Amino acid sequence: MDIGSFQGRLEALRVGAISDIGAAADLDALADVETRILGRKGELKSVMGGIGALPAEDRPKVGALANPVREAIESAIETRREVLGTAALEMRLLAEREDVTLPGRSLWRGGLHPIRETEREIARIFGQFGFVVVESPEVETDALNFEALNIPADHPARDLWDTIYVQPPTGTPEAPPDEEPRWLLRTHTSPGQIRAMRATEPPIRILTPGRCYRYEAVDASHGFEFFQVEGLMVDEDTSMGTLRGLLDAFAHAMFGAGRPTRFRPGYYPFTEPSVAFDIQCVVCDGSGCPACGRSGWMTILGAGMVHPVVLRNGGIDPERYQGFAFGMGTDRITMLRYAIRDIRAFLANDLRFLEGFPA
Amino acid sequence: MRVPLSWLREYVDVDLSPEALADRLTLLGMEVRGIERIGADWSRVVVGELLTVDRHPNSARLSLTTVRVGDGEPTLSIVCGATNIAPGQRIPVALPGSVLPGDRRIEIAKLAGVESQGMLCSGDELGLSSDADGILILPADTPIGLPMEDLVGDVVLDVDVKPNRGDALSILGLAREVSAATGAPVRWPGIVVTESGDATADHVRVDVLDTERCPRFVARYLDGVSVGPSPFAVQQRLTAAGMRPISNIVDASNYVMLELGKPIHTFDADGVPNGHIIVRGAEPGERLTTLDHVERVLDPEVLLIAGDDGPLGLAGVMGGLDSEVSDTTSRVIVESALFDPVSIRRTAFRFALRSEASLRFEKGQEHRLARIGADRAAQLILAWGGGRAATEVVDTDPVELPRARVAFRPARVARLLGVDLPSTEQAALLARVEVTTEPADPTDLVPIAAAGPTGAAQQVPAAEGALVAVIPGHRRDLVIEADIAEEVARVRGYETLPGTLPTSAMPAIRPDPRRLVDHLRGWLSGQGLLEVVTHGLIGPEDHARLGLAADDPATIRALNPVTADHSELRRSLLPGLLTVLADAERQRRPDVAVFEVGPIHARVDGQPTETPMVGVLLAGSARPATWAATPRAWDLADGKGLVEALVARIADASVDWRATTPHAGVEHPGRTAEGVVTLPDGRAVVLGRVTEVHPALLAAMDIRAPHVISVGLEIGAIAAIEPGRVQAGRVDGPPPVERDLAVVVDATRGAGDVAAIIRDAAGPSLVGLGLFDRYQGAQLGADQVSLAWRLRLDPDPSAPETATDDLMDHIATVLSERIGARRRA
Ligand SMILES: [Zn+2]
Repeated sequence: MDIGSFQGRLEALRVGAISDIGAAADLDALADVETRILGRKGELKSVMGGIGALPAEDRPKVGALANPVREAIESAIETRREVLGTAALEMRLLAEREDVTLPGRSLWRGGLHPIRETEREIARIFGQFGFVVVESPEVETDALNFEALNIPADHPARDLWDTIYVQPPTGTPEAPPDEEPRWLLRTHTSPGQIRAMRATEPPIRILTPGRCYRYEAVDASHGFEFFQVEGLMVDEDTSMGTLRGLLDAFAHAMFGAGRPTRFRPGYYPFTEPSVAFDIQCVVCDGSGCPACGRSGWMTILGAGMVHPVVLRNGGIDPERYQGFAFGMGTDRITMLRYAIRDIRAFLANDLRFLEGFPA
Repeated sequence: MRVPLSWLREYVDVDLSPEALADRLTLLGMEVRGIERIGADWSRVVVGELLTVDRHPNSARLSLTTVRVGDGEPTLSIVCGATNIAPGQRIPVALPGSVLPGDRRIEIAKLAGVESQGMLCSGDELGLSSDADGILILPADTPIGLPMEDLVGDVVLDVDVKPNRGDALSILGLAREVSAATGAPVRWPGIVVTESGDATADHVRVDVLDTERCPRFVARYLDGVSVGPSPFAVQQRLTAAGMRPISNIVDASNYVMLELGKPIHTFDADGVPNGHIIVRGAEPGERLTTLDHVERVLDPEVLLIAGDDGPLGLAGVMGGLDSEVSDTTSRVIVESALFDPVSIRRTAFRFALRSEASLRFEKGQEHRLARIGADRAAQLILAWGGGRAATEVVDTDPVELPRARVAFRPARVARLLGVDLPSTEQAALLARVEVTTEPADPTDLVPIAAAGPTGAAQQVPAAEGALVAVIPGHRRDLVIEADIAEEVARVRGYETLPGTLPTSAMPAIRPDPRRLVDHLRGWLSGQGLLEVVTHGLIGPEDHARLGLAADDPATIRALNPVTADHSELRRSLLPGLLTVLADAERQRRPDVAVFEVGPIHARVDGQPTETPMVGVLLAGSARPATWAATPRAWDLADGKGLVEALVARIADASVDWRATTPHAGVEHPGRTAEGVVTLPDGRAVVLGRVTEVHPALLAAMDIRAPHVISVGLEIGAIAAIEPGRVQAGRVDGPPPVERDLAVVVDATRGAGDVAAIIRDAAGPSLVGLGLFDRYQGAQLGADQVSLAWRLRLDPDPSAPETATDDLMDHIATVLSERIGARRRA
């Protein structure tokens, strides 16, 4: 064999390869062509195997003849691979099309109870003024729930709190019925005031939120279980003006910056002076409606300057210190916040109701 | 307190609309809860005169009347069903086209075949009284044709008088408040008793044996009295104020109570033997039949008005039947007394006899009202029932008390109110509520806190600039300096106090006790759980279902529950959560994934104890059923997985599950686990339980879900695993190596045991352990199980390459030695 016919065989291989490469329909076929031509036992190898039959002086020329052929084939394969690859990807993407308007694979949505969230919102607002939550027990003594709060036994103000009593702790010494230390379910969060005052020293800024109990028939605005948040601030300068300023800030944060408020006398045995705090009716914006008894105002909390007797019972000198306390119905605030008509919804836990509070 | 404005105006001029007046009173602390307009909901009702009353031709129960309703008006023919009518009477007539309360329209209509040109009205139909049986008979001199609203129309304010202001539980007391608001002067009624004949003392003798409980008793005596109805206007007035007219004598005492706030009792003197009245504590076992025909058994706690033959009445609470004023009474003893408020309150509560009278006694009474009330009652009885009043009174404490004096420091008042208020202005404000002021003497003491059951009085010497407030007798609520401050603020108007934000020193930073709980709530809701808040009080049946005995000493029970269903403080969150599920199922919402955070209650060592808990209940599908997911029921592993993820979220710790004794009938006997976290210091913390609720408990609550998972964790335990200080993990070394280890063990062997052995054998280089496969079946013996674990090992970089393989072999060997586990290829 001379170099000419060797070159002819190479050229034939090249032509055939280019043709086969162009004819490869997909990447797999192309890979087959590649193996058949360039593989270890491929056609190129086999043509190159003929090198031994060439005259010795021609052998050095083989490289210059074969390399361009190999490169041309490789380049053609690469070009074809790119074309086929792009087409394959397009096919795949086409095949993977789905109805993008289908709904997703759902998760249970979860949610937080509106009473607890309102409690937290109240704490968040007063937290900006340095108030922090202090927990206080639900089972209380008459002494802390009433007497220390300046509500002695047989005081007419006791009518304000219909009380559910519980058995005293076992081991309580036997005493005549009158003097028996009475245990009860706290009728308000106010005993938390006494506990906080006894546990710390002014300056005091605390909140005691939680569940309270009263002996009360259940209707759309009453329940025997309800929730309150108590606030207490005591130092040397806290005045009724501070109370007004903070309550205004609270009302505006909770019910909108423009909502008018009203500060008027109230009555609680544990505050003096006592305050009732109203906001303009959130239903009628003050024009008068059944929700506000046509007055245009809604009372959202009771407050006042801590009574000197209560300060004294908390171990604080009422001559030196003064301050305020307030107590608000978390249920009521929540009802106003979300336009809830019936307080019974809170403990009924209807799932539809609970799912109505995105947070 | 219901306040008819027509009555109020007798004592003070009011130039305000009812709404404006209500506003002023409310801002003064006398909250007006409602405004009622008598006559506002009727129209075209006029006074008529009955001309004839005949039998209805077609009905025995009806009458046919003719009625004159004014000059020039045609005579009306009206059918009427009442029996108390007669010609000549004046009565209210609803003309055709009129409207009555409840939007009831009256037109010409045929009744039993006869045309009726309107309707004769009862008091009930006009909303004037509760008398629905008879037509309202008006006084004979009532002008015919007069619109009824001109005759009885009125505006009634419903005023919420606070418990400290007993003095304002009266029309006169509220007139004083109006005066404080507007400056218009108060006009007292002219109280003059025309006396004649003998002295009262000739007919009445009063012995107060208990002057503590009855500091003053004033009696008057009248004879020749005719008992009958009160004047129409008085009846209307009492009715408008919420009191039912009874008779002129009883009405007189009620009138005085409403007018002056002084409860009065009247006796038929014939029921008081020898005219001798004794005020004393009851003898043990003594009996009295009260006006309501109930026989009461008494004891010394009860203060009695007694006669020579026994009890006449419960002092200040209710009279006795035997001495009640009746139609035949002609001799009357008027009692106007002061009683110890506490004694009255206790007696009234004890016999469930709280009345308008006892309510006023409970709040304390002005000393001088005893005499004034007796005189006013006698005056009204004479005016309405005739007769003669004996001269003078019997009075056990005729010396009136001096006015109380309360020293105060205007500067301190200003400090409390947070407003700069000169003492002259404070004095002027106080003057509007009849509190006069004078400069304090250095020896005067300023009352900071009054003496009471919880402590002694606290007083400080009056400083320079201090004043003394001289308190009118009716203001028994003004006792300490802070009371004066309130009065100053009240009269000035709370709305005038400027609001300021705090400028005083802040307290130090304190931890927020709700931080962890709020974190848990947020996390759980993020896992798709819905937060619920259930009752703190549950029923004995709920506890019985938990296997707690009805007399379990640890259960805290209400002594006076509102309802039996809510009479015991919950010992567990489970009953409340199951109730949510049962309710949801009834709403066709079987998929329930909820949680609650809150305390459970128990008596521990006798003391009430609250344990904050988080409870989770999972029922129905673990995921919503959609085209993309096959529904799967929640199972025990979901409950455990939730706890494991929660723990991992809070601490660098894992949960070991161990078998525990299930609560019989509450927890599935084969599906109840206790979760334990072992802290780095080796302490094991029991977090709580994960269980499948026992099918019997589900059945008892009519729950249809076949499998319900419950998780109960103690918040305190979760708090205990929180690391005090977190150190960032190491990320610079080589990544951990993962190796799998499958072992065959006895099927009764808990996976938790196997895991514990692996951990123990692997030592500190084990940084993660997961069970990725569990197999029981044909390839194994019937009593065998294959557990395939994936271990993540953090190799010591200095150890030889074979160290990991050696460790795996070691673990397998230990498993084999300890529990006979066979390593699977
Ligand atoms: Zn409104």
